[in-house]
Amino acid sequence: MQIGRRPMLGFGLALLAGALLVALAAPLIAPFDPIFQDGTMRLQPPSLAHLFGTDNFGRDVLSRVIWGARIDLQIAVLGVVFPFLIGTAIGTLAGFFGGWVDAVLMRIIDVILAFPFLVLMLSIIAILGPGLKSFFIAMALVGWVSYARLIRAQILVLKTQDFAVAAESLGFSRMRIMFRHLLPNALAGSLVFVMSDAVLVLLGGAAISYIGLGVQPPVAEWGVMVAEGQAFVTTAWWITVFPGLAIVLLAFGFSLVGDALGDLLGVRE
Amino acid sequence: MTAVLRIEDLEVRFRDGDESRLLIDRVSLELQRGEILGLVGESGSGKSLLCRAVMGLLPSRKLAITRGRVELDGETISGLPEAAMLGIRGRRIGMIFQNPTSHLDPVMRIGDQIAEGLRRHRGLGRAAAQAEAVDLLRQVGFTDPPRQARMYAHEFSGGMRQRAMIAIALACDPEILIADEPTTALDVTIQAQILRLLADLRRTRGLSIILITHDLGVVAQVCDRIAVMRNGSVVEQGEKRALLAHPQHPYAQALIASHPSLPQEDAVGEPLRPHEAPLVEIDDLEVSFPAGGGLFGRKRSTKALAGVSLRVGRGETVGIVGESGSGKSTLARALLGLQPVTAGHIAFDGAVLTLERARTLARLRREAAMVFQDPFNALNSRMTIGETLAEVLRVQGKVPAERIPTRIGELLDMVGLERDFAARRPRSMSGGQCQRAGIARALAVDPTLIVADECVAALDVTIQAQIVALFRRLVQDHGLTLIFIAHDLAIVRRLCERVVVMQHGRIVEDGASAEIFARPAHPYTAALIAAIPSIDPDRPLGGGEAGAISETGLQQEGLTT
Repeated sequence: MQIGRRPMLGFGLALLAGALLVALAAPLIAPFDPIFQDGTMRLQPPSLAHLFGTDNFGRDVLSRVIWGARIDLQIAVLGVVFPFLIGTAIGTLAGFFGGWVDAVLMRIIDVILAFPFLVLMLSIIAILGPGLKSFFIAMALVGWVSYARLIRAQILVLKTQDFAVAAESLGFSRMRIMFRHLLPNALAGSLVFVMSDAVLVLLGGAAISYIGLGVQPPVAEWGVMVAEGQAFVTTAWWITVFPGLAIVLLAFGFSLVGDALGDLLGVRE
Repeated sequence: MTAVLRIEDLEVRFRDGDESRLLIDRVSLELQRGEILGLVGESGSGKSLLCRAVMGLLPSRKLAITRGRVELDGETISGLPEAAMLGIRGRRIGMIFQNPTSHLDPVMRIGDQIAEGLRRHRGLGRAAAQAEAVDLLRQVGFTDPPRQARMYAHEFSGGMRQRAMIAIALACDPEILIADEPTTALDVTIQAQILRLLADLRRTRGLSIILITHDLGVVAQVCDRIAVMRNGSVVEQGEKRALLAHPQHPYAQALIASHPSLPQEDAVGEPLRPHEAPLVEIDDLEVSFPAGGGLFGRKRSTKALAGVSLRVGRGETVGIVGESGSGKSTLARALLGLQPVTAGHIAFDGAVLTLERARTLARLRREAAMVFQDPFNALNSRMTIGETLAEVLRVQGKVPAERIPTRIGELLDMVGLERDFAARRPRSMSGGQCQRAGIARALAVDPTLIVADECVAALDVTIQAQIVALFRRLVQDHGLTLIFIAHDLAIVRRLCERVVVMQHGRIVEDGASAEIFARPAHPYTAALIAAIPSIDPDRPLGGGEAGAISETGLQQEGLTT
């Protein structure tokens, strides 16, 4: 791929790679322990010792942002992978077989969509108990519907096209037609969606943590940090601004890559 | 005669960063008042782009006129600001397009769409504009304009939509009409009517017309002068008869030589072989599609095929012709078991599909293959040609695995593609190359029967001629049975020894090609043959005197209105 000719893709990939590198190297590059509280150093503005300042417990914000990358990347990736896999499988089946299979699956989707997304997420997490694991399970249970609908619509269009009819006329099995011919062509759209969904999941994860159902303090997570710093936003802006910036940059990276992927895969053709 | 439009030394370039490509290469053309100029060339030759440049409608910001100018009535219009061009577009130069469906507003009544232009450009009041719109619809051949003006685009057939487009273009009484492939999407009999309409408009209104087309037959019939374009430049232009009779440029010569309406010395015309053991037998076949009817309403259906019976012998080449909606594609799909059958029987080499479905399907999949209309769409764009062929060979299992790479090479040889095409994907290939790959895929089955559904319709004429030649060679060398479906009779005449004519889901005529083209027995066949635009300007379009064809044509179209 000619990344050189696509500066936006290069920039997006660099942001994602940067986040990954920071996450992997967190123990090496973080100047302080992210959960160590230093009562003498509360609410210090950015300085040479604490580049991003300290929060109300005297923890180093820079170190917390660095360690937070681990959690937030995990949220963005795992929160998307499971819905993507489940949704793709279900959407392919519904689109390919049609008939009652399609009718049943689509009604299930309708039921899930009838509830507001966050309300459903919150009730599932409430049942399972707060924590990151519950968040991923809830995402998998609720998030797949968009992927299923996307893939199903693609498969419905693709299966009437000549290459699918050709595959049938050449004696290919249903499995082969479905997975070797229809699915690879249907995936382009949802791969792009994965990228923008990762942004939403990241923000969703931050929101869930914010109301106390996701990542539990004192673990460093950007959403939690924004929530905790909220009370001090007028007096100690650095507590919220730096993790907020980190969320924005990561989200920006995902959406740039998503955009460029869309162009490369010809989704908008 | 005076030139109403003069294009001088026009050059259009694509520029993106450092990349710069020449798209229109110093074209000079003149359009005289009241003249029809035919702009001929294959896809990508720049003929549409040239006209868009004239209208100031270049499709991207990366395209620009980098040299030369366009003059309308002696005034330079290239490089005019957008506001000034608005007064020219539509008002002085009208344009119609290939696909009227996508250029008509689906939620606006036809009459209102015409009136809109009248009110904006000519400042007519509402009532006056409506009256004028009705009158315009009458001029372009609508039968009941006051009623039809209140109808929507989807209620009309393709031919009537193209007439409506012409009425919209005429609404502002332009001096020049640019018609970009106006009949390419239409059936032959409808095409003949639209061409006749354009010629009439030129006569009654003194309109100057630029007719863009890939079909030399069309220009031979209606144009006064011809300009042949290739790779962005005009390679030859001149008076129609002189150019057709003595083309100078080798490309113009090739284009004329490949036109299918020319009589062929080696045309296939050998007598029909007796069908001692028919390979395909179709009896009283009926196929219906559900058409509406809700949960509680009575289920309705339309018949795509009604009582079709056909026998095809081993080694025969049968052409199935008919206009769109005649059921020819449905017949092809039904016969390959790709389309559920409502009633009747289909047998392939003695195995009856409708009785022993699984067994017959298994045989069909191993002994019959299909070639499709759209060469790009028919191939999986994510696989290389080599992967596509290898997959078929593996699934079919007729060739041992270690022989597959060799076989792929042989298949590419057979269809005249270089062997390194195995590593290429459809998107990096031209339409003709893709179609060859599609034929190679059909041959990979090692079939006894090939069904080709409109497989040259989407290709340029010179490529069409090559593909037809390829089919002929394959039929001769490999003893294939070929069912060739086409709306283009001229191509069928070149390729097939037998012709089956379909209309409204029935077979109306069936016989030896030579016989049918010389003495068509059914009036519909006669109308189809007469409507082929001949490259010979002295053989006018059939039904020029508004005879039987245009009557039946109008009635057919009337069905949908």
